[in-house]
Amino acid sequence: MNAKLACKDVRIKLMGLIDNEISGEEKEDLLKHIEGCPSCKKIYNEFRTLKKETKEMKFKKLPEIYWDDYWTHVYNRMERGIGWILLSIGIIVLFSYGGYEILRDFFLDPQKPFLLKIGTGTLTAGMIVLFVSVLREKLLIRKIDKYRSVER
Amino acid sequence: MITDNEAISACRAGDKEMYRVLVERYKTRAYYAALMYTHNRDDALDLSQEAFYRAYKALASFDNSKKFYTWFYKILKNICINFVTRKRTHNQVSADDENRPELVSSGLNPEEILERSERSDLLWKAIHQLKEKDREIILLKEFQEMSYQEIADVLNIPQGSVMSRLYYARQRLLKEVEYLNDER
Repeated sequence: MNAKLACKDVRIKLMGLIDNEISGEEKEDLLKHIEGCPSCKKIYNEFRTLKKETKEMKFKKLPEIYWDDYWTHVYNRMERGIGWILLSIGIIVLFSYGGYEILRDFFLDPQKPFLLKIGTGTLTAGMIVLFVSVLREKLLIRKIDKYRSVER
Repeated sequence: MITDNEAISACRAGDKEMYRVLVERYKTRAYYAALMYTHNRDDALDLSQEAFYRAYKALASFDNSKKFYTWFYKILKNICINFVTRKRTHNQVSADDENRPELVSSGLNPEEILERSERSDLLWKAIHQLKEKDREIILLKEFQEMSYQEIADVLNIPQGSVMSRLYYARQRLLKEVEYLNDER
């Protein structure tokens, strides 16, 4: 391996050195190379300074008041998730029953072709599922959309 | 102390309260991760809570041999990306400038504090000038404090590639810092 390639490999491995992800013999070899190679040493020092600075950069702490209800909000979502599913199933069942009652005469009429009954049934069921899905989406978006009061 | 896997097993057995162990353990990291995408406190809180809820729903698919947080982080990242994309589409970006990280400056005099604040601005700006791929790996390493193995899991890349990706990302960051410095 020529010297140029060796330096390129060393420079990549410098990441492991500054992030403390390599140890033992490899670490010693790298340090030895850095000592004997001014250009790698310069790069090593630049990376080390950058690492030190980025490591020291911290987000401002969020006031405790925001953490107080954090778990409660997550728990409520967990509970409401099941609630939404049950509510959706309930509405679909009730609306489907209502639809069947309205169209009962049509479904029980032996003169009507079976294929037409299947088509009408699936069309009605599909419309009910879509209606519930859109209704649910509208309610959920309304709940999280902070800009709903802004006139567009 | 209850381990992540013990808490997950209890949740799978129906003990919802045990999920609190995981939420309490990772809520700060999750919030900061979301903040890096949204730059807005309220959105970051909301999205991180939503991610915990979705992770709870998907717990059955969690592989016990993996780390919970790296698995959770992928869920959170997807939620944040969708949110940011939707906001950009609707032109509703609302970044709070105070929600960016700063260099620790406790015990310094006012002049040094100002200097560090300017340096923080420069670094944060430089990080955000990077391409998404470079920025992400730097944020995972420095602000999520992930190990190379965890980064490899999150990005679905071999552990050996983490080092080279970090090298090129940091190299470009150094160039960006230099460029911004010269511009001042």
